[in-house]
Amino acid sequence: MAEKKELYLGYSTDKAITPFFQNWLEYLDQDKLMKSKCSKCGTEYLPPRQHCQKDMSECTLVEVSEREAKLYSYVIVDFAPESLSSKQPYVVAIGEFPSGLRLTAHITNLTSMPEVGMNLKLGFDKSPDGKMITYRWLV
Amino acid sequence: MVRRVAVVAGGHSKFGKRYDATMRELCAEASKPIYDEGITQDKIDASVLSYAASQFTGQGAGSALMADYIGLQEKPHLRVESACTTGTASLRAAWGMVAAGLYDVMLVMGVEQMNRVSSATATEYMSRAGDMRWEYPYGISFPAFYALMASRYMSEYNMPHDVLAHIAVKSHFYGAQNPKAHLPKEVPFEEANNAIPICRPLNLYDCSLITDGAAAVVIAAEDRVKEFTDRPMWIKGIGAGASENMIQDRPSLTSIPGAKRAANAAYAMAGLEPKDMNMAQVHDCFTIAELIAYEDCGFAEPGKGREIVENKENYIDGRIPVNCDGGLKSKGHPLGATGVSMTYEIMKQMRGEAEKSSRQIKDVKYGLAHNVGQSGQFVNVFIFERGW
Repeated sequence: MAEKKELYLGYSTDKAITPFFQNWLEYLDQDKLMKSKCSKCGTEYLPPRQHCQKDMSECTLVEVSEREAKLYSYVIVDFAPESLSSKQPYVVAIGEFPSGLRLTAHITNLTSMPEVGMNLKLGFDKSPDGKMITYRWLV
Repeated sequence: MVRRVAVVAGGHSKFGKRYDATMRELCAEASKPIYDEGITQDKIDASVLSYAASQFTGQGAGSALMADYIGLQEKPHLRVESACTTGTASLRAAWGMVAAGLYDVMLVMGVEQMNRVSSATATEYMSRAGDMRWEYPYGISFPAFYALMASRYMSEYNMPHDVLAHIAVKSHFYGAQNPKAHLPKEVPFEEANNAIPICRPLNLYDCSLITDGAAAVVIAAEDRVKEFTDRPMWIKGIGAGASENMIQDRPSLTSIPGAKRAANAAYAMAGLEPKDMNMAQVHDCFTIAELIAYEDCGFAEPGKGREIVENKENYIDGRIPVNCDGGLKSKGHPLGATGVSMTYEIMKQMRGEAEKSSRQIKDVKYGLAHNVGQSGQFVNVFIFERGW
C-alpha cells in the first residue's frame, strides 16, 4: 500500500482512519473524488458512507464523473473558530452537481463576491509536502 | 393514562458575562425565587439538568454538582443534552416522567457558563457540533451554518439584509426593557445593518450572544397543581422534530424541516392552530433563524416572513408578538438555559408580570416556544395554555 495520506481541509481532526476511508483518500490522492453506492439498493452518498443509511448494507466507492456544479449557497467566514483563525476570511460553499449530489468545500480562487447560482468547478489540492490532500471549488 | 402537567413556578438569573458566578451560583440564583415561594426541596421529587456544553467548564456529571448545590442531592436527577435545544428537551423529559406518573413534581434547571474562554474558543467549541469529518474541518462555525441558510434565503426570495437588521432592532428594543438581559441596549437600524461582518451575509447584530446564565421551572401533575399555584400554565402541546445532520443534505435551506415537523406535532397535540397563538418565543440564535421560524411555525407562508417584520406584527401589540424579552439576540443565549428561559418568559407574560408595561403582552392565553438545536438537527416546540 502507498504511503498513508491525510485529508487536508485546512484543519484536519478526524484521525479515526478506517480502511474504507483510507481507500477513499488514496483515490483522492489521484485527483479522483469518490462517492459511495449501496451494493444492495444503489443509493449514492457524497460525502461517502461505508454503510447505507437505509439498512446498513456495505457501500462501494464509485468515481464522481461530474466536474461542474452550481453554487447552492455560501458563507464568507470573517470570524473563524480558533483552529482556523489564521486563515480568515475564507469562503465555504455548497456546490450542487447536475445529478443533484452536493459537496461542501472551500472556494479558493474568488476575485469578486460569490453569488448563488454561479458556476463552480471541482478542483484538488495538496499540501507542499504532498502528505495532505483535499478537494475544493474553483470559479 | 397520561396526566395533565402544568408549569407552576419559575426563576431566572441575570444573563450576561457573569464573572461573579459559576454554574453553581447561577443555579442558586435561578432556584431561589422558587424556594422563596415555598416550593422547597422537600416538595420536589426529582430534577433534570439542562447543561449543553461541558467543554466550556470541563465539569463532567453536571447534574450531580447542580443537584447538590441547590440542596437536591438526595433526589433523583439526570442530565439531558441536545445542543441549543437542551432546555426544552429537558422539559420534555421531565414532562414525560410526570405525565406517566413516575414523579408528581419536578424541577427543570437550565444553565450554561460560556464566558471563561475567549470568543474564538467558544466559536471553536460550538463548531464541533457540525460533522467532525466533513464540516468542521472547513471551519463552518455556528454562525456559518446560519449564514448558509441566509445566503440561500436572500437569493431565493430576493430579500435584502435590511429585513434581518429590523429583527435585530426589535430584539434590542425589548431587551433594553428586560433587566435580566445580557445586552440591554437599543440599537439603531443603521448600526444593525452595517455592523462588522461575522459570517457574511450575517454581521455582528445578526448573531446571538455568548452568555452565562440559568433559568428554572417547576412542573407538577394535575392533582398536585393547586398546592403550588392558582395560576398554572398547562403544557398543552409538545412537538419534537429532527433534520439531516449535514446541512448540505437538507432538501431546502430556507426552512428547517425538523422545526416544521415539531410545530405541526405540537399544534396537533394541542388541537390549536398558529392563529390561536398570542405570543411566541422563537429560537433567534441568528436573525435569519427568527425569520425562518415565523414560517416554520406557520405564522407566515414560505418567503413571506418579512411581512411580519415590515408590518411590525412581531411587536407587543402586533398579530404575533415574538421575543419581547429580547430573545437570544439581546437577552442572551446560555445554551442549556435558553429553552427553560423561553418557558419562564411565557409564564411571566401570561401572569402579566413583565418588569415593564412597555414589554407586557396583553391577555396571553396561548404561548408558543420554538427551541432549535445546532442548525436544526433537534427542535422542540411547546404550546402553553393559561390555566386561570
